[in-house]
This record gives sequence, structure tokens and C-alpha cells, in this order.
Amino acid sequence: MTQELFDAMRQSVIDGDATAAGKLAEQALAEGIDPLVAIDEAFVPGIRHVGEQFRCGDLFLPDMMLAARAMQTAIAVLEPEMIARASQRKIAGRVVIGTVQGDIHEIGKNLVGMMLTANGFEVHDLGVDVSPEQFVEKAKEVGADLIGVSALLTTTMTGQRTVVEALATAGLRPGVKVMVGGAPVTKAWADEIGADGYGEDAVGAVGIAQALVGAGA
Amino acid sequence: MTMRYQATFLSEADRDRVHEQSLRILDEIGVRFHGERALPLLEAAGARVDRETGIARIPRSLVESALASAPTSVVLGARDPRHDYPLPSPVTRYGLDGTAAFARDFETGERRYGTRRDVELGCRVFGAADMGVLAWPPVAASDMPSASRPLHEFATMLRACAKHGQHELHTRAQAPFLAEVLRVVFGGEAAVRERHPASVVYCPVAPLTHDGPMLDAYLDLGDLDLPVMLMPMPIAGSTGPAGLFANVSLANAEALSSIVVFQLAHPGRPTIYSSCVASMDFRTGGFLGGTPEAGIQSAVLTTMGHSYGLPTTSSGCASDAHDVGAEAIIDKLMTMLPPLSAGSSIVVGFGEIDGDQTLVLEQILVDNELAHLCERLFDGMATGPDAGLFDEIVAAGPSGDFLVSETTRRAARSGEFYLPGLLGRLSREAWLGSGSPSMYDRARDRVREIIEAPPADPLPEATAIELDRVLAEADQELGARSAEATARSPAVAMT
Repeated sequence: MTQELFDAMRQSVIDGDATAAGKLAEQALAEGIDPLVAIDEAFVPGIRHVGEQFRCGDLFLPDMMLAARAMQTAIAVLEPEMIARASQRKIAGRVVIGTVQGDIHEIGKNLVGMMLTANGFEVHDLGVDVSPEQFVEKAKEVGADLIGVSALLTTTMTGQRTVVEALATAGLRPGVKVMVGGAPVTKAWADEIGADGYGEDAVGAVGIAQALVGAGA
Repeated sequence: MTMRYQATFLSEADRDRVHEQSLRILDEIGVRFHGERALPLLEAAGARVDRETGIARIPRSLVESALASAPTSVVLGARDPRHDYPLPSPVTRYGLDGTAAFARDFETGERRYGTRRDVELGCRVFGAADMGVLAWPPVAASDMPSASRPLHEFATMLRACAKHGQHELHTRAQAPFLAEVLRVVFGGEAAVRERHPASVVYCPVAPLTHDGPMLDAYLDLGDLDLPVMLMPMPIAGSTGPAGLFANVSLANAEALSSIVVFQLAHPGRPTIYSSCVASMDFRTGGFLGGTPEAGIQSAVLTTMGHSYGLPTTSSGCASDAHDVGAEAIIDKLMTMLPPLSAGSSIVVGFGEIDGDQTLVLEQILVDNELAHLCERLFDGMATGPDAGLFDEIVAAGPSGDFLVSETTRRAARSGEFYLPGLLGRLSREAWLGSGSPSMYDRARDRVREIIEAPPADPLPEATAIELDRVLAEADQELGARSAEATARSPAVAMT
């Protein structure tokens, strides 16, 4: 029965079926399964499979997004029990992500956030129009390993520099890494402002993030 | 009498369905308005406004009133009146693509951030492109202060090109300076109001969101009767639904919501229906604008604009290719032909590749050539009573020829047989002998001629000096405000 349940949990992530993933997570708890075991032995293999299929071109980005959402749904169900047991999920890294102050474009940032989640990162999304101090505060609050700063406009991308500076002023650099992205952003710009990485697209951003926090692909 | 190519992208019934779905979106889901001016206007007019979320649900009646008060035509004036261009127009002409982040350096070939000089050069080359009627700063001038950058870009365009100019603003504080720039360049407020020599382009943030600072700035500029080109940009699959019909319905809803606000604030203000819709790359999540799907959506939205009786322009001539060449030209034709066949008055897209992110000067002239070729294609052939040339065939008879004929001589100049400006029609030996130039090589030679010649349409010296004064004032005041805002930020204050 447990193996069948594990298979179903894994498959719910592969199918991108958040409703099923949530219900199966509840069932796992009802059956007394350790939530960490449910994550590591059922849901993580599911998302890993999706990632492999995505990398070899058999699945598309929406498949990955739906799988990530299913995974998030399951984890949200399992999380209270994990807290109760004082157990912690193994994560690739803790990321705070947001769009710079004065910019309300968020699709690129959302894509990166979902892709990072799908690849085992714990993502704290601050949304759009985020001030440097909000980045700093959240980084301190959650103990971030990495900050992802998005900007779509040439006039707002300078805000990425401000975030890097604010983190430095707060004494969080170079421990907390910074990754930047957005249509007008380049590797050269990332280097100029002292960021640690530049993600050209959501897929590329995952590899950069993994490299920056020392997590394996 | 001619046989002209036409295409129908949307039946009348489907047009009604797009419209009805857009009305449902506006009424049932609503649109989020940031900024200060729009929500009070909408609320006073009967929209259901939730001040907490900033979402206004807009009833059908407001849309209908707005469509009734929006002008059905406008002449886009130009600094040189010979370039005035009427909307709607019986022919299709073209606009320079705008606000790329990068330029390909003409001398080094390096892709780098754009500068004010790139804006100037792009607009000068565009000025020489005879199919172009609508200038737009093609690249962001990253060497200008960010607080006043759009003003520098706007002014540089108006200096460098005597055709109609459009651009965008990013903050409300920039609006009075733009008004002053326009007064200086065009000789006073009356000229700006009456001749409409410049306009602003407005892009809602998909899905269903209006940017506050830009919207407020444009509403402020309504007192100058400055035309607004509405350019919704949902990306099917990411910021828009992953279906072309649904995505155009969303784009149309965004356009209609914009028309409602602009007409509520200034009834009768020229609002130009346009779009720049795209789709998501399903592998990377990236923006794809140079696709058949973008072309179809552009044509459908052109049809919607026409159905509302609004002056209508379109996006097109777009490419996602990272370099010039065959891929760029395929993309551009693929996105130029549909809005052209839908009868768009202006297709905006000259000069850029790389998903509208890189300006290439040679591409402006290559696109101009594509525009000529497309126009020739769409003009079809004469079919009048004399078109059969029966007497000519009689005269030549079997085994004769048509070389020594007045008709043939006239035909060489008639326009029925297009004589290309950039396509090579040399014999093979002659082509090899001249260094095997490509279309881009010929464009490059022409660009060099243009940019090495004195500017074709300079501003009078006194006007240029006055313009510099306004810009310096803007730098000082907007820069100071920006510094104040930064200083108020606690995190930065810690420094």
C-alpha cells in the first residue's frame, strides 16, 4: 500500500496535478508516514523526473511549472507536521526574489521563482516594486543564501545596483549571493554592479543559482 | 481597376465574440489601475471600483461611450508638413521600432547598451527610409540620467527626424517637461494641439494592469491633446492566456480599458488602437514576437481596431533572431504581411531584431526594402480594359518580341514592375566583381552615406539652444527629485 501511495504521489507531481498531490500528502499524513520521507521518496523523485524530461526536451516549461505547483501544494500540506516534528526538509538553498523598486513587471521573476522551487530551492517571493530595504529585511529574516533581483526596464535596472549596495551596507555580502535578470540585463552589467550571477532565462537561472549556493544539478 | 490581395483574419461573428469576451473581462474581472488619476475618473463615471485592490470593473456602457467619443481619424502631423500622415490611411506605411535596450555598434559590430547618439543615428536613417512615417526612439539612451532619460530620447528624435515622433514617459514629473519640449520644437502649444506632431505610446502591463506613473503622466498631457497610441502586449502562455483567440480578447480588453480612461479624462482626445502581442517560448519562457502567431494576432487586432472605427496601427516586422540575415528577414516578413493584409495604417517594427531588444541601423533600410516589396505584392495587377495589351500581342505575333515597344518602355517606370533599391540584380559575374555584396552590405553603404552627410532636418539653432535649456532644467529638477526619493529610503540612508 505504501509503495502504491508513493507511486501515486510521484505521479501526481509528474502529472502536475496539484489537487491530487495535496490529497495524497494528506493521505500520507493520515497513514502516519514521516513527511520528510514522503517528500524525499515520492515528491522529489517526481520533480526530478520532470526536470530530466524537461532538460532532454520531452517536456515543456508549462509541464515544469505545473509540477512545481503540485510539489508546493504537497509541501504546504506536509509542512505543519514537519514543524511539529522539528524536522527540516533538505533544500538546495534559500532564495529571496523580487522585481526592483519602480518596476511592476513580474513574469520573468515568477518564472525564475517557479523553476527554482521545482529544483529544490525554498523561494520567498517579495513581488514587484520591491525596495532595497525590503530585500535586506527578508534576507535577514529567512537567512537567505541568494537574492534574485529582476528588472525589465533600462530605467529600473539601476535598482539592481542599489540592492547589491544595500545588502553590502547591511553586512550581508559576500555571504549572501546576488543573481540578476531581465530583458535589458547582461553578464557585463551583472559584473559591473558586483552581482554574482546573471540568468539569461528561467532555465539558465537555475544552473546559476545552483552554482552560487554550491548545490548540485 | 486592380486586383489587390486581401485577407480576412476574423469573420464578423468572431469579431463580435472577441468584443463580447473583452467586455466580459472588463465587467466581471476588471482591470487594476495603479496611479492617482484613473480610479476616481472611473468611479465617478459608474465603474465598480475597489480602492483596496485598485481594480475597476468597467461596464459595457462606459466602453460604448468611450468608443463613441474617440475620434475616428487623426492626422499625425510632422515637423516637416510634407510628412504629415492621415489615420486611417488607404495605404500601409511603417514605424521605427522603439526602446530597445541594445544597439549594434555600426563601426565595431559590438552589441552594447544604447546611447543618445544611437537614438540620433537611428532616427536619421529612419528619416531617409521613404516607407517610414512614424519615428520612435529606437533604443534607450543609457548614457542619459535615468530620471530624465525619456525626455532626452524624445528630444533627440525630434531633432534628428522631421517625421511624426512618438515616445513614452515613465513618471508624472516628466510630463510638464515634455510639454515644454514640444512647445519649443513645434513653436507653441497651439501648434502642438492643432497639428498633433508628436504622440505618446502607452503599454498596459499584461495581464489587465495599468502602470500608474505612465498613465498619470499621459492623462496630464491630455490638455495638449497629445494622441495616445495604445499598445497592449500580452504574451500568450505567460502574461496572456495560451490561446490566440483568448490572448487577442485580453489585449483588446486592455486596449478598451485604456480608451475608457483616456476618453473619460479628455473626450475626443485622439486614441490610436494598436498592439504588440506575442507568445511565450514553451521551452524557455522567453518572449517571441517574430512568429506567425504574432502576425496572426496583430492582424486580428488590426481588424478589431477597424471594427471600432478607430485610427489603427499594428506591430509587425519583428524578429527574434539574434543576428541580421535570413532568420531576421523570415521573421519580419512573417509578421509584416498579416497586419498589412488586414489594412493597417502603420506597421511598427523597423530596425530591430533580437525580440525588439537590439537596434541595427542597416536593418532599418532592409526593412524599408521589405516594405516596398510587400506593397508591390499587395498592389496586385491592373485589370482595366486596356490591361490585356492585345494590340501589342498582335504586333509581336508568333515568334516576335515585345522589346521595341512604347508599352515596354513605359512599363519600366510604371511601378507595375518594382525596381528594388537594395536587392541585387546584377549578373553573376558583375556581382562577384563588385565583391559579392549582400542586401545588408548595400544597406550598410547607404547608412554610411546618411550618417556621414550633414543632418537632413536640423532644428533652427535658436530652437536647439532653447531645447537644451529645457533638458538641462529637467536634468536638474528631476535628478534632484530622484536624489530626494533615494535619500528618503532608510536602507540607502544607512550608507
